[in-house]
Amino acid sequence: MGTKKMEKITIEVIFEQIEEVIDQLEDSEVTLEDSFKSYQEGMKLLKQCNDKIDRIEKEMIVLSQVGEDNE
Amino acid sequence: MIKKNIYTISQVNSYIAQMFKSDYLLKSLLVRGEVSNCKYHSSGHIYFTLKDEKGAISCIMFASKRNGLDFTLKEGQQVILHGTVDVFVRDGKYQIYAEEILLDGQGDLHEKYEKLKEELEEMGMFDQTYKQNIPRYIERLGVVTAQTGAAIQDIIQIVTRRNPYVQIILYPAIVQGEQAVPSIVEGIRQLEASKVDTLIVGRGGGSIEDLWAFNEREVVQAIFDCRIPIISAVGHETDTTLADYVADLRAPTPSAAAELAVYDYEELEERLDSYRIMVTRGIKRKLDMTRQEVERRKFRLVQISPTNRLREQKMYMLRLEELLDTKMKQVLTDKQHALSILIERMKGLSPLEKLGQGYGYLSSKDGQAMKDIKQVSVGDEVCIHMVNGEIEAKVLKKKSVKRG
Repeated sequence: MGTKKMEKITIEVIFEQIEEVIDQLEDSEVTLEDSFKSYQEGMKLLKQCNDKIDRIEKEMIVLSQVGEDNE
Repeated sequence: MIKKNIYTISQVNSYIAQMFKSDYLLKSLLVRGEVSNCKYHSSGHIYFTLKDEKGAISCIMFASKRNGLDFTLKEGQQVILHGTVDVFVRDGKYQIYAEEILLDGQGDLHEKYEKLKEELEEMGMFDQTYKQNIPRYIERLGVVTAQTGAAIQDIIQIVTRRNPYVQIILYPAIVQGEQAVPSIVEGIRQLEASKVDTLIVGRGGGSIEDLWAFNEREVVQAIFDCRIPIISAVGHETDTTLADYVADLRAPTPSAAAELAVYDYEELEERLDSYRIMVTRGIKRKLDMTRQEVERRKFRLVQISPTNRLREQKMYMLRLEELLDTKMKQVLTDKQHALSILIERMKGLSPLEKLGQGYGYLSSKDGQAMKDIKQVSVGDEVCIHMVNGEIEAKVLKKKSVKRG
């Protein structure tokens, strides 16, 4: 369930999380340890986002009209 | 019977045919009626009868005219037919040669549109509350449109330019004519099942009849029911179909729909880069701040260390010593000064000074100073002290004098 949920996270959601991380990093009250955690989290999110973008050019798929789901 | 002119059957039929051909009305007319005895011939010609309560007429639509028919002709349909009435000379039979056949009632399309629009609006199907957000970053784009139309070409072009990594999945729909409604509905359902992120449903421009399928209740319902966000893109900017009203987002054209559906890849890269910079800058700043904090603490620690305190005390001691020294010297100088003043003053008071001015003083032989006449008797030996010597003398006579 957990991992499946991770797969469903969209780039949009990741961006929101990255923005939260940046806010935390800019907060001077946060401890260094927590800042490091935030930084690592930010880098992880950036990588996750990068990995999510499948950089393979796609050919259009044309479905058959018969009604079978050929996915 | 006068057998003056005898004609052959074909001559008669040809003559009649000639009359028909010269008639202005019969060359082009519209006939309304119900279809019966409809036969699609293997040659592609369609034979049927058009009838109403009061009459019937044979009709034929040649295979070459089939583009004038965009639905399947069936028994019982009410149609309006445009064609020519002509004679089939061989059989002596007149019939209508159809050029174009429309389903009756399409003239009332506008009325039908308004009525359905009002009804669906009242049902709340166009309500903003039902609109789903169009996701910004998608991986799979579903398209329901004609495979051979301009719409899909436009969409492919825009998507390839903005983001070639997005997968387009096309359901090749029939977008006009009788088959259009079930085809579009099926397309929406299939693409919903294949889990695309966003759907574009539409077609390029055309007449109101061409776009009509997008005004049909079933299509509107299918768009409403679809749980995947749908962008409608029907015809040109000026055409608004009911599909446009019910869709989650209306695009004026298929190209615009593609722009709205697919994010620009370059833009995403830029955004990622800027995030990377911000995150790195954030932790750097935090580290710098912490380092400064460490430096500050270190400085304070050094300040309160025993070595430092010892050194400070030593320095304080040296300063005190120096101060003491200076003060002492000051006191000495002051005293010396006071002494020399006293010496000056003493000088003024010295008896020797007086002696210098011509005075002398008297003492007994043993050096006792004489201040009173009573201390001496006649015949005593005394000593007179002068500035530059002493005189021994003998008292001859004494007399007291009252001075003053």
